[in-house]
Amino acid sequence: MSEENLVEQASLYVLGVLTPEEVIVFESAMSRDAELRHLVDSLRNSRDAFAGSVPLVEPPPLLKQKIMARIDAERKVVAFPFQAGISKRLYNVMPWALAACLALLFGVSISYQKTLRNQNHEMVQQLSELNQMAISLRAESQGLKQAVETLQQTNRLENVRVGVLGSQLADAPKAVAVSLWDEKRQQGVFVAQNLKPLPADRDYQLWVIDPKYATPVSAGVFQVNEQGSAHVSFKANKPIESATKFAVTVEPKGGLPTPTLKNLVLIGG
Amino acid sequence: MYYPITSGDHWRLLDFFRRPCITFLTEGMSAPASDLERDVELLRRIGDGDRLAFGRFYDHHSGLLFSIAVKILNDAGEAEDVLQEVFMQIWDKADSYNPVLGKPTSWLVTLARNRAIDRIRASQRRSRLLEQAAEEASVITDDSPSANETMYGKENAERIQSLMSELPADQKRAIELAFFSGLTQEEISKTLREPLGTVKARIRRGMLKLREKLEGFI
Repeated sequence: MSEENLVEQASLYVLGVLTPEEVIVFESAMSRDAELRHLVDSLRNSRDAFAGSVPLVEPPPLLKQKIMARIDAERKVVAFPFQAGISKRLYNVMPWALAACLALLFGVSISYQKTLRNQNHEMVQQLSELNQMAISLRAESQGLKQAVETLQQTNRLENVRVGVLGSQLADAPKAVAVSLWDEKRQQGVFVAQNLKPLPADRDYQLWVIDPKYATPVSAGVFQVNEQGSAHVSFKANKPIESATKFAVTVEPKGGLPTPTLKNLVLIGG
Repeated sequence: MYYPITSGDHWRLLDFFRRPCITFLTEGMSAPASDLERDVELLRRIGDGDRLAFGRFYDHHSGLLFSIAVKILNDAGEAEDVLQEVFMQIWDKADSYNPVLGKPTSWLVTLARNRAIDRIRASQRRSRLLEQAAEEASVITDDSPSANETMYGKENAERIQSLMSELPADQKRAIELAFFSGLTQEEISKTLREPLGTVKARIRRGMLKLREKLEGFI
């Protein structure tokens, strides 16, 4: 195979468009050729970056819990409480009519017991799922506690101002954002949800309110995705001594040096 | 007027804001192992049945994999199913991961892509996809944050995005069709109305250019 041909096959291989027969031939060649493996690795890295250039879409928040519950359910064997069946011996000393009644009664009893058993089984399953959910949340909470402890140990939280911004809009009452500002590093992160996408000639503009300045300090503009979410890292236009509040306004594209207060969307601190 | 957050929103919001906030707070806190070492170690622990490691692995990679599945399937519900299948596979097969066969990220990207493409092939959507592929212009033109942010951070992701835009349009289009559409080589050739040899050459040149441009970033 020529050099050009090898690169071509390697490219098609990492993109997943070789036929199964071609894959067998190519992987066989790869197993004998370290240089080819190296080429494939480097092309795979490029492919990953290419694949990752799609717009970021976060999975639904509860999906993780769902998956964790599934792995827990898979891991744990739920013991099903066995209930011994009713063993009855009918003595045929009664008239046939009475026997028929008893048989009917017996049938109803079996059916009722089966229903109870099913209900019991469902409840055991539900209980197991709830247990898994509790374990999952406990583990999650433990992970968060560890993160907070590490943060406290490094005094990172002392420099960080956390602001929760609430909606000012009647037509988007669920709009909400969290802003974290690290005074030491003079940078922050801003995450918003449920904001309305804006027309092309408008931007959302983030502001940091510092009593040191007469007007809010611009921290840049941003747009939201189709779901109304945004996640941006930001820096303020001026040095911030104390970020007491954060605010978001709608401004003309590119933003303004001072906020248009009538267009206030979110504020909080 | 101020609209407070209702109690029913708390869990959803906590989950939505948790990851970016913790990333911001913990970045640069210690000298962490490289992403590669971290992922290999997490996979090893997952193979031992460590669910905490699994949770961390999910946090690191779910955004990227979900974004890829949404791109391929154009359906968030189906992408959710794919993500569940992929992570269940990771849970079951983590110990079969072989570092010699590429980085964990590459393994995951391949798993998610193949699962999503299998779904397309299993459903009756193939002819619709062919039509869609023929009509659709270049798919990666969006200015919104890319899934690469989860792998390379915001700044590098933006740089990568800018380098991607320098790729000749015909090469980019051929690579996109190969990776995201689930079409065969022949179908790509038909869609682009170019001979198969031309399509393969475009893919080769595009991938080499991509590698050259991304050197140093990935």
